[in-house]
Amino acid sequence: MRPSRSFWIGLSIILAACLLSPSWTVAGVNVQCPGDNDGDAQWATAGETQPGNTQCMHLAAGDGFVTMADGHLQYMFGFSDVTGVAPADVMNTGMLAAQFPGPTIKVKEGTNFYLTLTNVGMVMRPDLFDPHTVHFHGFPNAASIFDGEPMASISINMGSSLTYYYTAPDPGTYMYHCHVEATEHMQMGMLANLWVTPLQDGTDPGTNCASQKFVYNDGDGSTCYDVDFPVQIHAFDSNFHDLHVAVQPLPFALMKDNYPMLNGRGYPDTVNTAALPAPGENGGKDSQIVSSLITATVGQKVLLRVSSLSTVDYYTLTVLGIPMKVVGKDAKMLRSSTGTNLSYLTNSVTLGGGETYDVILDTAGVTPGTYFLYATDLNNLSNDSQDYGGMMTEIVISL
Amino acid sequence: MKRTGMKRSLLTALAAAVFLLCGTMPAIAAINGITGTTFNLTAKSGYISTAEGGSYLAWGYANGNGLMQFPGPTLIVNQGAVVTVNLTNALAVPVSIVFPGQTGVIASGGSQGMLTREAAAAGGTVSYTFTASRPGTYTYYSGTQPDVQVEMGLAGALIVRPGTPGQAYDHADSAFDHEYLFFLSDMDPNIHDAVAAGNLTPDTTSHFAVYWLINGRTAPDTMAAAGAAWLPHQPYNIMPMMHPGERILIRMIGAGRDAHPFHTHGNHHRIIARDGRMLSSAPANGADLGEQAFTTSAVPGSTVDAIYTWTGDKMGWDFYGHAGPGGETGQACVDAGVALAAGESLADHCKPFPVTLPSQETLTFGQFYSGSPFLGAMGTLPPGEGGFNPNGGFLFMWHSHNEKEIVNFDIFPGGLLTMLLIEHPSVPLMNP
Ligand SMILES: [Cu+2]
Ligand SMILES: [Cu+2]
Repeated sequence: MRPSRSFWIGLSIILAACLLSPSWTVAGVNVQCPGDNDGDAQWATAGETQPGNTQCMHLAAGDGFVTMADGHLQYMFGFSDVTGVAPADVMNTGMLAAQFPGPTIKVKEGTNFYLTLTNVGMVMRPDLFDPHTVHFHGFPNAASIFDGEPMASISINMGSSLTYYYTAPDPGTYMYHCHVEATEHMQMGMLANLWVTPLQDGTDPGTNCASQKFVYNDGDGSTCYDVDFPVQIHAFDSNFHDLHVAVQPLPFALMKDNYPMLNGRGYPDTVNTAALPAPGENGGKDSQIVSSLITATVGQKVLLRVSSLSTVDYYTLTVLGIPMKVVGKDAKMLRSSTGTNLSYLTNSVTLGGGETYDVILDTAGVTPGTYFLYATDLNNLSNDSQDYGGMMTEIVISL
Repeated sequence: MKRTGMKRSLLTALAAAVFLLCGTMPAIAAINGITGTTFNLTAKSGYISTAEGGSYLAWGYANGNGLMQFPGPTLIVNQGAVVTVNLTNALAVPVSIVFPGQTGVIASGGSQGMLTREAAAAGGTVSYTFTASRPGTYTYYSGTQPDVQVEMGLAGALIVRPGTPGQAYDHADSAFDHEYLFFLSDMDPNIHDAVAAGNLTPDTTSHFAVYWLINGRTAPDTMAAAGAAWLPHQPYNIMPMMHPGERILIRMIGAGRDAHPFHTHGNHHRIIARDGRMLSSAPANGADLGEQAFTTSAVPGSTVDAIYTWTGDKMGWDFYGHAGPGGETGQACVDAGVALAAGESLADHCKPFPVTLPSQETLTFGQFYSGSPFLGAMGTLPPGEGGFNPNGGFLFMWHSHNEKEIVNFDIFPGGLLTMLLIEHPSVPLMNP
């Protein structure tokens, strides 16, 4: 919270008519999306035309509740997708609608991507006036203004909207998260998947890739995959969250996670293909919609988009029974500077916060059945005191 | 979460740094340290400060009769030099130095300890001699009860320079315009307090860090001037600076108990070497096996060299704020008389800023925000906002992405964090 904010209200802002000054607009929910006339970040209304090579999305940032795999109700901050919602309804729709993880962003390389973020406020913490941002974690050659890191740029206050713009310059597996008071807002859950698909998609680089889907512009089909799944590492310190909703001082340095998760759930919730039951405290809004069940048929290449937005610990993931081929790290294809393929086979990948791996499981010749993906730091196979669960999911290979 | 207090201390700490931002530019930003072939170090004690006001007993290596410092003096030597380090021990416990990555180290004097010869407590001496045979980034630290002594601060960096100036190794892939040390560590004050209370062999098995540091400082002290008078035992700062297109050499050392995932905002970095060895398929091939990353772990005891650059390419708008008189873009804008900035890509030349920024009362402003989205431009900000970016630079946070580590105990922001400053090509850099 910035106390100085109150001093600005009522100030008349005189803007220098400088060549370099962008124009300024008014407060309130305000989507900026070329060709969208009614502010819902879509082109569904008559008379609206989607410009070529353009994608829009509207996220709300606020708070809400999720349910841990042992039943513990957990207060959180997070994002929800309000794309398609009329501006007048965005505040109500976005309030207490935080999702964990946030809505996945998938955008094709080279697309003009307009992401509007509306801060709907924290209903359970009316004493707070925290702004929020979106940090496009890992996007190359970023500008400070769209980096979402609040010390070097701007963040959006309650009740208003800020639109980010990127050209999605390079394909790969990224993440996004709020960067305001990052230790707190990220521990609280303002985290999500962000993927950029390559221009090579839908083309045939002369190899056997029936899906014509690739992780990167590899030129040789070596990053071909058939199905892709998010594997995003999260963990919650329930003590931190419980103190938060109780409006107590927060222990930053003593933060200690006790709910290790994949895509916002602990096992066995990870394999539930449906949204988890919506907590009544959310007013019945679904808050955990991303399943971690991985399914494929024998012969398919399965892309695991592995990322970590843990705020405390490193984690190591393994797949029991299927070799893991690492083809990318941090949204870069593993290639030498002279083009040599540096992908490698392994049985585990280790991630600190802010790292991603692209892992392909080739299921050719794999016996149909259920395989497990889990954290090899085995104490993480727990949901707090429930010592069976945690950071684990299943890979179901069928004929 | 309230952070009023932190803002105040951030402002205080940065005042000195901003003063220096307006200074003149050294030819190549050098890493602070001591050069030569013979180094006289003294192990002694002193107090180090954390940015939220903590003060903790520490042990460290001093340059000669100077103050104890953490990290110890960065020893900068030339490849092939025969290096001698004479250690005098002013502490009440035996002390030594090991040089991981150096071969043929000859220790003389003192008495034999577990890992090397040691200088006896209270005045003992020992000497180490080795030939700095390979260029690179290395660390040195105490080989005597290192679980306590390294935690207490007896550690530093060793840089071996190749024959070619402006390179980290014998290959142009390691060429840089600016180089910076990132000596990443963590601290459990309970151990320091135990030593201060007279327990010289405290239990370190329950180590639990609550401070995280770069070059011995917690943010925002990381960004204050080197040699700041109010940090007498922590002389090294870290605030990388560059112009678009320039190359920064990151010399990163894992110097703590834990690994730290170091994230560079703004762009990827290319890892060119690990533990003093270029990632080469063959010596002539440079860092061809080096991978690009946006987060690289500093693993305890190991080093990483990486090259970071930033061009702003493919941004989709002209971050210099160029505008064609008739709305031209690209070559047409050049033809219309609007020149490219040095290194600017033609593709985005004169392309307009893509969105309209919200009105000011709906925004919270960062202390490093210039008020303008354009490089080298200043915008109008409400009174009291911004102020720490006098030339309209782009700033990017470089920090531990185990975000718990960017606090000073329970105060955010702090810890293992600094800001990269990218200045307009016309603005001289000052590397405080
Ligand atoms: Cu936030
Ligand atoms: Cu991040």
